[in-house]
Amino acid sequence: MTALPLPARSPFKRLGLLHVAVILTLATIPFLLVFAISFGHKVEGAAWVWSLEFSNYKRFFVGSDYPDTVSFLYLKYLWYSVWYALVAAVLAVATAFPFVWQMIRLSRRAQTLWLVFFLCSLTFSEVFIVMGWDILMSNRSGLPMLFRETGITDWLKANGGLDLLREWGLATPRNVRFKPSQFATILTLTYLVWPYAVILLYPPISKIEREVIEAARTMGAGPLTVMRTVVTPMVRTPLIGAVLLLFVFLLGAYVTIAVFADPSSHTLSISVYEAVRGATLNAPFGAAQAVILLLTAAGVLVIGQRFMSAKSGGR
Amino acid sequence: MGKLLSRGFMCGAAIWIIFPIIVVCLAALNSGRTMFFPPEDPTLARFTEFFLTEEIWVRSLRTSFVVAFSSAGLAVLAAWPIAYGLWRRNDRGSKLIAGLALMPFALPPIVFGVGLVFFWGYLGALGNIWSGIISHAVLFPALPLTTLSIGLQSIDRAHLDAAATMGANEATAFRTIILPQMLPFTASGFFFALVLSFNEFIVIFFVSASGYSTVTVQIFNSLRNGFTPTMAVGAITFLTISALVFSLIARFGNLPQLLGSDSSKSS
Repeated sequence: MTALPLPARSPFKRLGLLHVAVILTLATIPFLLVFAISFGHKVEGAAWVWSLEFSNYKRFFVGSDYPDTVSFLYLKYLWYSVWYALVAAVLAVATAFPFVWQMIRLSRRAQTLWLVFFLCSLTFSEVFIVMGWDILMSNRSGLPMLFRETGITDWLKANGGLDLLREWGLATPRNVRFKPSQFATILTLTYLVWPYAVILLYPPISKIEREVIEAARTMGAGPLTVMRTVVTPMVRTPLIGAVLLLFVFLLGAYVTIAVFADPSSHTLSISVYEAVRGATLNAPFGAAQAVILLLTAAGVLVIGQRFMSAKSGGR
Repeated sequence: MGKLLSRGFMCGAAIWIIFPIIVVCLAALNSGRTMFFPPEDPTLARFTEFFLTEEIWVRSLRTSFVVAFSSAGLAVLAAWPIAYGLWRRNDRGSKLIAGLALMPFALPPIVFGVGLVFFWGYLGALGNIWSGIISHAVLFPALPLTTLSIGLQSIDRAHLDAAATMGANEATAFRTIILPQMLPFTASGFFFALVLSFNEFIVIFFVSASGYSTVTVQIFNSLRNGFTPTMAVGAITFLTISALVFSLIARFGNLPQLLGSDSSKSS
């Protein structure tokens, strides 16, 4: 693509420069502030002051009283952030891929209808989605009630299934109980990004040329061989790319964790909020946690950049 | 057999996506204060509450509208020069600018939210509604930027060459060739940003600082008392807006192309 020469005194130039300056200031300064404040010092019983100390990071990794005592509390939060996000992202992509594979065979009109449907559920606020699953998993209506009414609970009690569920934290002595639990958290997170997975996988998969697969088939390759030697190399890059993008998106999930996760398995986003605007009010430490969340995301995106071709970037 | 299986799988996926949404929508019909499913003693009284009588919901719905419309408009204005520069020059500098403008959208929003708390805190604007609007306007240019770039790609450069040969300057060419072709893409970008702003929670949760609240923030703040059927009316309202907007985009624009699948570009 050759760019047209831009006239030296373009009427858009000055206006554009001002625009760009304002946008870039607003888009970058908040991140720089987070970074700078993460080195700040919290004054006991007061606000915080600028500083250049690593105590917030020390507190994150080994606890504030190190080396007297060691605390991995915040590493545990980070671990839960990564764990939930990774499992949900992999589950979503693994189940969305066969779906997209079917979807691209439909007529153009049908594809558009499906896309509208997914865009609606995609933009549906996390708050509402959590509301839906909260009703579905609440004890007085929803699944536990369904289990009791249909007799599944009694059946589970009779053959010991309920005891097994209790060990997994999914039941009380009387009935199944789905929240708070990791099961509910991961289920809702998977649901949250499922439409995203479809939208991300749709462009690269719809560009795969069916003729190549047909050719392989006519030349005598079985379905499994085709899957292994033709399809997998073509879709590996977009699949990994989608997992990474969804992972980054899920790292910052807040409402789902706040409602469905047990306080003992909360994530970094909860403790960031607590530190910045919530109960504990320690802005520098909140900033340091946010920086670590950001670095985790950035690290994943950098790895992703290697896998993602420039074209499948999409939105 | 294979066909039946694939039909079944697609139906299953549709049910998996739509079921919780239906549950929320039906929960709005409950007559009591508790969310029951299926609804007990169905009534439409919650709708009157949400839209007319209950002050907090009427106010937060109005706030949601104000924030969404103004921030989407600003996001489109912000994205235009960047998309245009990217298309016109396509050099390192313009790519860097576009990349930086995409940053708030690409990184976990909670980090951007924390940064905005510090930023507006410094300016003494935390909790002002206009700082909330600007926050969303900075978060969402990514969407109009994408739709505008896709649109600009499909403009036939031969037309611009012809216009230049016939003596049109850049402004004339912009007004007569580029702008008319770009209207659907501008509108799509605006509506994408609008719908996302409506449904956004975490950034506005951070910057609103209990000075005002949009519907999503108000729902989360009222969570202490559990979800109530009146909130479900909010869910229905937002879902209707999304469906309306995306149907319009699909009707008047090319949705598969906007999502990056179409290879039949005219260039």
